[in-house]
Amino acid sequence: MTASSASSPMSTTGGSEPLATLDAGSRAHLAAIAGRLIPEAHGMPSAAEVLTDDRVRFVLQARPDLVEPLRGALRVELGDDVQARLDALGRGDPAILGALHLVIVAGYYTDRRVRELIGYPGQLAIEVKSGAPSYLDEGLIDAVLARGPVWRDPVTGRRAEVAGAPRTYKERVWSTTAGSTQGGNDGGDST
Amino acid sequence: MASEPADVLIVGAGASGAVVALRLAEAGFRVVCLEQGDWHDLADYPGVRLDWELQQRKTWATSPNIRQLPEDYPIVEDSPVSPLMFNGVGGSTLIFAGAWPRALPSDFRVRSLDGVADDWPIDYFELLPYFYRTDRAFGVSALPGDPAYPPDTDEAPMPPLPIGSAGLKIARAHTRLGWHWWPEFNAINSTPYDGRRPCVQRSTCQSGCNEGAKASTDLTHWPKAIAKGARLITGARVRRIETNDAGLATGATWIDREGAERFEPASVVVLAANAIGTPRLLLLSASGRYPDGLANSSGLVGRRLMMHPFANVAGLFEEPLMSWQGQFGDLIESLEFYETDEKRGFVRGARWGLAPTGGPINTALPSRAGEQVWGPDHHLHVRTHLGHGANWGIFAEDLPDETNRVTLSTTVTDSSGIPAPEVHYSMAENARRMLDFHIERATESMLEAGAFKVEVDRLMRYSGWHLLGTARMGDDPETSVLDPWNRTHDVPNLYIVDGSCFVTSSGVNPTSTIAAIALRAADHIVESRFNQQVPA
Ligand SMILES: Cc1cc2nc3c(=O)[nH]c(=O)nc-3n(C[C@H](O)[C@H](O)[C@H](O)COP(=O)(O)OP(=O)(O)OC[C@H]3O[C@@H](n4cnc5c(N)ncnc54)[C@H](O)[C@@H]3O)c2cc1C
Ligand code: SF4
Repeated sequence: MTASSASSPMSTTGGSEPLATLDAGSRAHLAAIAGRLIPEAHGMPSAAEVLTDDRVRFVLQARPDLVEPLRGALRVELGDDVQARLDALGRGDPAILGALHLVIVAGYYTDRRVRELIGYPGQLAIEVKSGAPSYLDEGLIDAVLARGPVWRDPVTGRRAEVAGAPRTYKERVWSTTAGSTQGGNDGGDST
Repeated sequence: MASEPADVLIVGAGASGAVVALRLAEAGFRVVCLEQGDWHDLADYPGVRLDWELQQRKTWATSPNIRQLPEDYPIVEDSPVSPLMFNGVGGSTLIFAGAWPRALPSDFRVRSLDGVADDWPIDYFELLPYFYRTDRAFGVSALPGDPAYPPDTDEAPMPPLPIGSAGLKIARAHTRLGWHWWPEFNAINSTPYDGRRPCVQRSTCQSGCNEGAKASTDLTHWPKAIAKGARLITGARVRRIETNDAGLATGATWIDREGAERFEPASVVVLAANAIGTPRLLLLSASGRYPDGLANSSGLVGRRLMMHPFANVAGLFEEPLMSWQGQFGDLIESLEFYETDEKRGFVRGARWGLAPTGGPINTALPSRAGEQVWGPDHHLHVRTHLGHGANWGIFAEDLPDETNRVTLSTTVTDSSGIPAPEVHYSMAENARRMLDFHIERATESMLEAGAFKVEVDRLMRYSGWHLLGTARMGDDPETSVLDPWNRTHDVPNLYIVDGSCFVTSSGVNPTSTIAAIALRAADHIVESRFNQQVPA
């Protein structure tokens, strides 16, 4: 009941060959829809071209739950007219249309060339720099402090008045090593 | 199973359960925690993988109704806002964004100050020492001295995280407007801290932090609590709290992974199952003595649910901001319009938090403000949006309303056959006016910062991150479920330490305040141990 096991949905591998569930007709419909939604334009390739077997397989292996709605979106009964198919799904099956959109968009934007063209390198690991942040030097914090306390004093009901509240950041001691690197102790007090 | 019964049995291993477990284990209590979910490994999280944005919409979705993992329970939604949570060791902190603002002093006095709702039986200054302790235990990065709060004597253990190009733009705009802004307080490491690595700005915080930089309690609390002797049982779904003839809690009946029913006895029971899971359990624990549910003589169990109605104001800028990067727990905040000004046509206010905007899949299929664009213009849409945006998230104070409530479903159950909770919620007129006002101001903020376009989501559906108020504290047993120490008025050895205890919601992300209140309750359990009534 409750435990996630080795075969739980946490794993990204779905069925062995999800493409086997799509026949040639379905693949043709998918290409046509992909090309209509994301056509070649503005220096970008069409999704019909980008959505190779590899890309569709990648999406469906990552998200096996999309296989069935995708099959539903590509079913023969919806005909050959791409726009009519999209309209019918939008009216009657928005969830299935959403799954179709996601397969196309995910296949497209996980393609290396597309990512290069849009200048998206993926979510990078960027080291956080130490040292006083530039907004301090720029006086942006001083401007906030100069206006005085913002909190409402629950005793008076008005903006608090704090005697001696620092009006510039220099009035405080800035330390980039504030505190300690151990949790659960008394921390540090840099004032 | 231990041969000796637990001194304290905790239900739920999320934010509040972990805080209580660590404090009590350190004080030498025999602590047992029952958690329906499981442990997760940093490598489970999809943020470092190519399929991250795909998994974020299913297996790592924030809504249990979308994830549908075996450990999730379904929530029947009669609400424009979907309640969000995660069920596992660490609870919702596994996927929380890490923003760590405290409730403000006025939040505890809304009846006295604004004539609405109720005052709390405790106040900001009483909680302050607990805020300092929980800030150290979770690991908070912050710039000290925010004038939106009373001066601190104790400061955050780490310097602030970067505010990013978008944060800098807005900070400059607010300087010109004369409006408050401040680098966000985040429970995310900016430096190595407590054996955990610093943040690498990957921005995937809401599907788990692969670095362990974000303070989820599976990292910050549970290993220490277990080292001190606490026993954490996973895959343990509690179905009811049992009581004896004297009306005292005796322990919990729970279902194990194989579906077998078990009983865990305890001297004291602490519920930490969040403001939906806890009232659900209390209602499930109805008995002859407690026909309307446990600890419910006031009739308030499950009522006064608050979720912070949320709007998103997205600004689009010509220059690239690389705004898919950066901690999701907010870059900067503004509390300029937080306090009541009745000229605005509503009482109370909202906090703004500036967040990154996501990757290309989210750009093409926006989960927040914005639209889908197909055909040749699709490429222009992605080009103008991806990495060019900044999101002001607006968290509106939600005032308590007894008709906003959690009840038990008569038709839907979880995978253990236990009735699912139903959430009945609608947004009040005061909150609607508040959001409308704040959307206007946040739009001005974006335009002043140079946005060429502003896109607005006026009430985001998947924004029920903050679950509060369903077992409020107070002095009077007729109008509250808990006493000021989080003990139920009706059952002297039953405590509730999660966000259910909130009297009002404040307008800020609640977990810092939940953790401080839970620690205060745990201190009280330690201090009152010799006077505590326990079952024979
Ligand atoms: C996507 C997201 C983003 C968020 N971002 C922020 C943020 O930036 N800042 C902030 O302050 N807050 C944020 N929150 C809210 C924050 O996560 C919660 O306030 C906090 O985790 C609540 O702590 P809790 O102890 O009340 O409950 P939880 O952390 O939700 O833990 C409850 C635990 O109880 C367990 N449980 C429930 N019922 C049972 C049962 N019957 N048997 C056994 N176990 C049970 C659950 O499995 C769960 O693990 C966010 C939440 C979400 C979902
Ligand atoms: S931005 Fe920082 S906290 Fe968030 S997931 Fe990345 S490393 Fe973790």
